[in-house]
Amino acid sequence: MALLKREEWQGFVRDVDWTYSYVDDEAVYPEWLSGTGKVPREAWLGWEESYKVSYPEYVATQREKETAAYAVKAALQRSATFDQLDQGWKSATKMHFGGVALVEYAAVLAELKMARFGLNGSWRNMATFGQLDELRHAAITTFFGHEFVGKDPQFDWTQKTFHTNDWVAISLRNLFDAMMTAPNVVDLALQLPLTFETGFTNLQFVALAADALESGDVNFANMISSIQTDEARHSQQGGPTLEILIEHDPVRAQWVVDKAFWGSARAFSALTGPAMDYYTPLEHRKQSYREFMEEWVIDQFVHTIEQYGLKKPWYWDEFIRGLDIWHHALHMGLWFWRPTLWWRPKAGVSKDERAWLAEKYPNWEKVYGDKWDVIIDNVNANKVEATLPETLPWLCVTCHLPACNATQSRDGTWRVRDIKLSYDGKTYHFCSNGCRQIFWKDRDNVNHETLIDRFLAGQIQPMDVGGILGYMGLTPDVMGDDPDYEAWTRDYVGRAAEGAAVAGA
Amino acid sequence: MTADLGAEDRAPELVPLNAIFATDFVQILVPVTTANTMAEVAAAVAHHVEGKRVRALPYDKVVIFDGQRLPADITVAAAGIKPLDHVTVEYDIPEQS
Repeated sequence: MALLKREEWQGFVRDVDWTYSYVDDEAVYPEWLSGTGKVPREAWLGWEESYKVSYPEYVATQREKETAAYAVKAALQRSATFDQLDQGWKSATKMHFGGVALVEYAAVLAELKMARFGLNGSWRNMATFGQLDELRHAAITTFFGHEFVGKDPQFDWTQKTFHTNDWVAISLRNLFDAMMTAPNVVDLALQLPLTFETGFTNLQFVALAADALESGDVNFANMISSIQTDEARHSQQGGPTLEILIEHDPVRAQWVVDKAFWGSARAFSALTGPAMDYYTPLEHRKQSYREFMEEWVIDQFVHTIEQYGLKKPWYWDEFIRGLDIWHHALHMGLWFWRPTLWWRPKAGVSKDERAWLAEKYPNWEKVYGDKWDVIIDNVNANKVEATLPETLPWLCVTCHLPACNATQSRDGTWRVRDIKLSYDGKTYHFCSNGCRQIFWKDRDNVNHETLIDRFLAGQIQPMDVGGILGYMGLTPDVMGDDPDYEAWTRDYVGRAAEGAAVAGA
Repeated sequence: MTADLGAEDRAPELVPLNAIFATDFVQILVPVTTANTMAEVAAAVAHHVEGKRVRALPYDKVVIFDGQRLPADITVAAAGIKPLDHVTVEYDIPEQS
């Protein structure tokens, strides 16, 4: 018997469905998981992915990718490449491993949810491949990071981060639980594959791969490039879902995409922003974080959503202004609260580095230079204790990141302003108007308690810096510190330090 | 019957504040008590920032709450500042003539 040609079997193999005789459709696809909402059930029959794949093809391709990625790893394992990498770049990879490895695992569960509750056979088929992808990503990221544990215990946080109450981990859990764990599959497809994977992982994977290669970390570049090739396929679950939703409920489609984009942008400003503009050695930087955001996120994503008929999000102006502010402030926060990190944040403010920052961000000196100068003067006066925290930064109720977004007054000065909301007898503080609006509209959702909430409720004992670090799971062998104070302070040795802590303030 | 006592007669109660000091880059958590004066609140907030991220200036400091500059000797309780409220602390720089 002759084998059927691919085009003769592909159509029905990828779109198998059942006719129920013992249960009704609502029992199989309950609303709270399947989330059809205002979309008529039959409208989902039109769901079609643009790039089709069969299981044998999938397995063959993935096998090749795995073989290639592990071959490069095996070859490099015998070289001294790792030992020669810059500490700043190593920090970028520690942050990535800890921040990403178990998010990939959460994505396995998200894809499985779509594979079970997706409202079309083709979608469920595509999500089945998606969960296999994410399983591979969780495994490869954990394995590649684990290799370095023997050389540096901070790499242990590849696996550990998401099992701790470190504030970065809480922030990421809050984001990804809202994006993957809590929503029905329609909202999930718009948030994860469409917004996060199409809009943002390009930035993390393409931009960081470029910086990795420049920094000589071929292994890391190899790993994330291997992952990125899967994203391009399974991220297309978002498009067909959005097409159908926008036809029947455009208001919901716009809101879900807007919310996911904002949350993703906040997280990237905390992690990818400092990695690109401060940790990556100056001579190895390809573009600034802002330039990458403009090219890879803004131009491409806006083009994508406008093609589907969505508008730019309501907060667009605030977001664009934030490209000059958010990640610089968060970098300063990460550095000042460095004992709370599982990496060694490099301040990155030598004269040459500041000249680069001022060129890329014309307001940088005005908004951040004065504060770094006080910190530099304290380091040079051997007052490092004056550069360490004695309290918590206030954490935004929505993004769980420090409330640190300065805005410019009419008189030209830059100030951090309080953005608050009194609701149900409690006062909430936010980092931005975008976070306040999202909290207000989603206020009945389950939200994680911020570290401030936990501290004030007495969950953290003793109520001091030591108690907080213990609660976060940080031990002295992994607690973050600047890898090389002299590298960024020696340019300023000998200048007057009036007004710093050394002056007895 | 503590409910009948005025704030000045009760034992000081903890008031955790959301605070920002002058040109600093971040809001911080600063615990004070109902009995603290505004001068003490200003000092408590400044402790975390002045000379550490913001250059110390030779001026008095003033607490601004709800858009109002508060007198240095008024207490947290008398000013009506409640837990989780926001205060700004600024240098009281004389206007140049």
